[in-house]
Amino acid sequence: MDFNDPMLALSSWIGQIGDFGLDLVWRFIHIVVTLWHIVSGIFESVESYAISLGLIQKYSSIDIEKLKCLAVVVDIEAARDVSKVIELLQWLTTIGVKQVGLFDSQGLLKKSKDMILEMVPRSVLLQETGEKHISPDRIALEFISSSDNKEAVVKAANILLEKYLKSIHPENGVGENVFTESHLNEALRVVGESVHVPDLLLVYGPVRSHLGFPAWRLRYTEIVHMGSLKYMRYGSLLKAIHKFTGVRQNYGV
Amino acid sequence: MLSLLSIVLTFLSLIIMPCLFVSWRLRVPLSITNIRRFIKTAASQCNDKEESGTTGEKEKGGRLPKHVAIILDGNRRWAEKRGLGPSQGQEAGARTVMENVKDYFSMGINTVSLFAFSTENWGRPGDEVKYIMDMFEKIVKSEMPNLRRYGVKVSVIGKRTNIPESLLHLIGEAEEATKNNKEKQLIVALDYSGKFDILQACKSLAEKAKNGLINVEDIDENLMDKELMTSCSEFPNPDLLIRTSGEQRISNFYLWQSAYTELYFPSVLWPDFGGAEYFEALDWYQKRQRRFGLRV
Repeated sequence: MDFNDPMLALSSWIGQIGDFGLDLVWRFIHIVVTLWHIVSGIFESVESYAISLGLIQKYSSIDIEKLKCLAVVVDIEAARDVSKVIELLQWLTTIGVKQVGLFDSQGLLKKSKDMILEMVPRSVLLQETGEKHISPDRIALEFISSSDNKEAVVKAANILLEKYLKSIHPENGVGENVFTESHLNEALRVVGESVHVPDLLLVYGPVRSHLGFPAWRLRYTEIVHMGSLKYMRYGSLLKAIHKFTGVRQNYGV
Repeated sequence: MLSLLSIVLTFLSLIIMPCLFVSWRLRVPLSITNIRRFIKTAASQCNDKEESGTTGEKEKGGRLPKHVAIILDGNRRWAEKRGLGPSQGQEAGARTVMENVKDYFSMGINTVSLFAFSTENWGRPGDEVKYIMDMFEKIVKSEMPNLRRYGVKVSVIGKRTNIPESLLHLIGEAEEATKNNKEKQLIVALDYSGKFDILQACKSLAEKAKNGLINVEDIDENLMDKELMTSCSEFPNPDLLIRTSGEQRISNFYLWQSAYTELYFPSVLWPDFGGAEYFEALDWYQKRQRRFGLRV
């Protein structure tokens, strides 16, 4: 027993030193990783400014024709700062994007619709012009919220349901097959919803989710998380759009 | 000479000691890949702290998802990179599922959904589709005893109209044999389409209205939720959706269910998505601040 006590004390002491040493090493690694993160952040900022100034050749010309419809999802906190949203739209106008859907879950941007249309040059409301009649020098804006998602699909489903119930033959109790994609598209148009599928969805905010963007329209949409709207950069926006133009989809085939 | 040796030894120890520490901390074998992975995880921790510090209270970290959905993408590219045929890529992808399926439920995750075959995939070459269907049969036969042993409930969702009879029979057997398991559920989406899921829910509600079971004016989002194919799960809406291979879209998977799902798009191809990559995804999820569209 006498021999064991010093041995136990010694092994405990060695264990404590070992833990302390490993803790120091862990903090050293943490410092290295933080420094690496700072350096990569600086590099990204520099790259973004270089892209903004047109210094990086490959971002100077973007095949914007491939981007027929862009959607922007904005976190509810960011949606309160309409000036940043307006700035983003002005950038998109400069880049040459023709159609933009603006989404926030609570519909705050819908409430600021008039101000946004006034402040963004050459902007028009998509519902007024229609998708096929956008002039080359205009940008068509669509304002979307969560009520255009599941609620809209339920309303459209009710239209199909009424149609189905009216079409039931009394003899055999069978109704017309109205539950197809084209029928639901038509029903969504009747309730005032667009069914146009955005090619690219940019998400601004801390969350990496589409926050309830209309599900029916998201089948093959590229989803890119852009970070905070407050710290958005023109270069990052150009980079995301450029990357999208290089994407090749096989649509499951 | 002696001073040079001491410099080299000091330099080596500065590299080896952190590696040993990382290896000890992670309880994984020491390798360059695992060290890189650890650094990426720690760096993403810095990234997410910066992003989530805007306004409002932060949610407590440490939560894990109840439902994880995975789009198994990248089998053919994996095969192409190695000069192999598409079938070998599919086989490698299947092996990944078989080797890791029990680990998916570790740490209290209740439901795991695998997007194994989409409705659009029927457009692939006939021999590839036949190979995939034969492979599914092989997997169901080989994995059923394991899944029963682990207490996993198996549910297969999708259209089922074009699936071979033999596979349908095996699926039926698997679902029947595991129907009483409650703690863990594996949902396999076979011939699944998110749009079709919404349409069949509408049709199902229509039939119920026709039969007088519900009133038309009572139809709302909650009733729709109950008619979707994912109503077989206690947690129908995934908390985390992983799509491997770097593609950043959900490709008609869980369109209705993914409104507030965290989307994780790692660049690794599906056959290379092992336990460590899965852990990385869960670790990433733990650091997210979820608001479900509300102001925090």
